[in-house]
Amino acid sequence: MIAIRTFFIACIALAPLCAQELKLPANLDRLATKASEVVDVTLDSNLLQLASRFLSDKNPDDAQVKKVISGLKGIYVRSFEFEKTGEYAESDLEPLRTQLHAPAWSRIVGVRSTKSSENSEVFVKTEGGKIGGLAILVTEPKQLTIVSIEGAIDPDQLSELGGHFGIPKIESDPKHKDNGRGKDQ
Amino acid sequence: MKAALIIAASLMFSCAAVEGAEREFDDIVQAVSDQLHARPLHIPLFGLVNFATWVARPAGVKHLNLAVFENLQLDDHTANEIAEAIGSSDGGWRPFVRSRGHGEAVLVYMAQQRNDCKLLVAAIESGELTLVELKLNPDAIRAWLREPETSAAKQRRPSE
Repeated sequence: MIAIRTFFIACIALAPLCAQELKLPANLDRLATKASEVVDVTLDSNLLQLASRFLSDKNPDDAQVKKVISGLKGIYVRSFEFEKTGEYAESDLEPLRTQLHAPAWSRIVGVRSTKSSENSEVFVKTEGGKIGGLAILVTEPKQLTIVSIEGAIDPDQLSELGGHFGIPKIESDPKHKDNGRGKDQ
Repeated sequence: MKAALIIAASLMFSCAAVEGAEREFDDIVQAVSDQLHARPLHIPLFGLVNFATWVARPAGVKHLNLAVFENLQLDDHTANEIAEAIGSSDGGWRPFVRSRGHGEAVLVYMAQQRNDCKLLVAAIESGELTLVELKLNPDAIRAWLREPETSAAKQRRPSE
């Protein structure tokens, strides 16, 4: 009896560590019905392998991307575009943000642009002291993009992936900041 | 004699491979037909189109298969039904892009065929479904990988 109780306590205690995959909450499907355009890009490990065969080693840009995706298990991008502002609320993202909490996840970058009202956040997932994935959340008044990258990736390599596979480019280097844009963390 | 035999065997092998690929596409068309209770339009002289494609390689397309369904009663579930039909086929198709907007939807699947990569695009719009299977050259594949959203949107709005 004690063994069973211990087992259940251990399961509950370890549950947050096992909640590794970023799951897109069901309310995002409801959000999809309001959006004027919805795009899902899926690159599982098989497609990433296939993709890497077609990235040229001779092209420096392709070669960098190829190197980065060699350690990845999957890239998933979901973007919503709305006709008008205010069609989605911060509360719609709350179930997603709940998943992106410690101990597994931590926010490493937050870029807020007052000029374009764009807010970009990068979260990193750590497993046993190693990075196991990244999540990117880009919110604009009429657009919302969620990216989940699974596998070993250095956050510095994110800039290599930006602009490929539907991943938005994120400028996190303060030297290249736009006017009115600032890194808040 | 030996060289002639090798050439003949290679030709037979490549013909069999093409035939196999055609059969896979036919299977998908059949599955979609069953799902939607509709038959695709007959496109006369489509073989010539493919010959021209093989010669000219427009937009990096090496080979294509096409099926068009018209006058369909489509609803919000049609895209899911088509995805189900493609998913149940044996072509090793993996979902790549799914895009929906302005009353239209595009499903894009990717698969490996020996050293090539092929795409299957299902474009759904006002009572019409177009299924296209494309075998692409590496440059065209890289363009899809770089901007999958834009490439899929072009399938919805080819004029842009």
